[in-house]
Amino acid sequence: MGRGYDVIIIGSGIIGLSSGYYLSKSGKKVLVLEKKDIGNGASGSCDDAILLQSKKPGIVLEMALESIDMYRGLSDELGTDLEFMSPGAMILIETEDDLRIMEDFVIEQKKCGLEVEIVGKKQVKKKQPHVSEGVIASTYSAIDAQVNPLRVMFAFANRGKELGMQIKKNAEVVSIDRNGSGDWTIGTANGERYVAETVINAAGPWAPFIGKMVGIEIPIKPKRGQIAVTEQVPPLGETNVWSADYIVSKLNPGKAKKREKVLEDLGVGFSFTRTADGNCFIGSTREYVGYNKNTTFEALQIMVSQAARFFPVMNNVSIIRSFAGLRPACQDGKPIIGEVATLPGFFIAAGHEGDGIALAPVTGKIINNLVLGRTNSLDIEELNFDRFQRKEGGVA
Amino acid sequence: MNNIIICRCEEVTEEEIREAILSGCTTVNEIKRKTRAGMGLCQGRTCRKLVEKVFADETGIEMEKIQPSTYRSPVRPVPISNFEEDDN
Ligand SMILES: Cc1cc2nc3c(=O)[nH]c(=O)nc-3n(C[C@H](O)[C@H](O)[C@H](O)COP(=O)(O)OP(=O)(O)OC[C@H]3O[C@@H](n4cnc5c(N)ncnc54)[C@H](O)[C@@H]3O)c2cc1C
Ligand code: FES
Repeated sequence: MGRGYDVIIIGSGIIGLSSGYYLSKSGKKVLVLEKKDIGNGASGSCDDAILLQSKKPGIVLEMALESIDMYRGLSDELGTDLEFMSPGAMILIETEDDLRIMEDFVIEQKKCGLEVEIVGKKQVKKKQPHVSEGVIASTYSAIDAQVNPLRVMFAFANRGKELGMQIKKNAEVVSIDRNGSGDWTIGTANGERYVAETVINAAGPWAPFIGKMVGIEIPIKPKRGQIAVTEQVPPLGETNVWSADYIVSKLNPGKAKKREKVLEDLGVGFSFTRTADGNCFIGSTREYVGYNKNTTFEALQIMVSQAARFFPVMNNVSIIRSFAGLRPACQDGKPIIGEVATLPGFFIAAGHEGDGIALAPVTGKIINNLVLGRTNSLDIEELNFDRFQRKEGGVA
Repeated sequence: MNNIIICRCEEVTEEEIREAILSGCTTVNEIKRKTRAGMGLCQGRTCRKLVEKVFADETGIEMEKIQPSTYRSPVRPVPISNFEEDDN
């Protein structure tokens, strides 16, 4: 069987589609194989934030900064309004202890070139007139943005198709074999076979199953996030908001111990964003419950109560639906992007956990450069899959 | 031109749904993600069947064989104040 494609991408989430688009733009013949349909994975059930403020200084923050720049021009490039907006974001602080930790965190981020500051109660009230009296201060960054992930996915898919990219849905990959000429033969559950020089595993939380097909263990697990959606409402304040409570508990383990057990168990970190259509997304949890995508009343109740605590006017607003998605969470909190050294021609682009929407354009660009053998402007060495093999095998 | 509104909550027309199918949507869930039909205040109670009908008509797939779109609780809008009072 001869080679039909230059590149086969497994998974049509936002990462697979972004990679497919940039590779097609470079003239590669691309096939995307999708188990179900577009939006089946995390990218179809998530928030819309491009939040830089929550990131620790390092490669992920650098990638996010580059991605936000790419998003600015992407609506024009793809010919679709991606509902990209930069309303800025605030992380609301309720206690003196949290304030001290956030002050240090902000200093670190500033050193990394991020424009962010701590604002006092008066400023908070100005930007968030409905916020409760319990909020004593907040961070503020004007650069934080948002985008509609569904629109991004369909736009990458449609522009990609115009450039010759093919997408096959209901095509679950079940086998991957190296054939005699060094190409990869991919088999699907409905018995089809495709051959390509390069394979990209962009299966998000399912990436480990694809890894098994070529004999590698990919340390990614699904981490469930639940979200409650409100009816459409006018804007409550100038920016989207998060609470410092969860971020501080990540930065400072001592705080985590003091948090209410149920908040810790469910990994609740309060987020409150308003979409271009006016629905508010109230989130979210971080739970290891396998591939279960159900929502639970317990979590929804905690999250909407937090919304009412921060913004008492929310008591008058209705929840119209809820959903849950599975973040592809990598063992060390960083995505895996690159070619697997022991398997030339086999790439991984997965494990973006809670940042895949923010990082989609830059990930697609990096994958494109890697496949074409070009150098990347960012040093992505530490995102290589080999970091795990080095650790386990003890070889440098 | 067919400007009949199929989803009243989100003001999605029959034509927009047909366009979504022509542009490559192959399931009603995809149509929902692409056009927002069914994502409105009534959560598709009014439009779900109509969307399926347009889908059946455009694709030739029988109504009974169409995989319905997913929807999750609450099935009716619930004021946030009710969530708090209810403690189980
Ligand atoms: C509640 C929640 C809130 C979030 N909020 C944000 C946010 O505000 N900002 C942000 O940047 N990120 C956010 N994220 C994270 C973001 O959604 C993910 O990082 C991103 O969607 C991952 O994209 P992906 O393409 O890697 O994976 P997915 O979207 O999961 O795509 C993987 C695809 O692979 C397919 N697949 C799996 N197995 C196979 C197979 N064997 N054969 C063929 N296809 C297969 C799946 O069907 C799926 O379509 C959030 C996530 C959740 C759950
Ligand atoms: S009519 Fe479509 S969601 Fe209400």
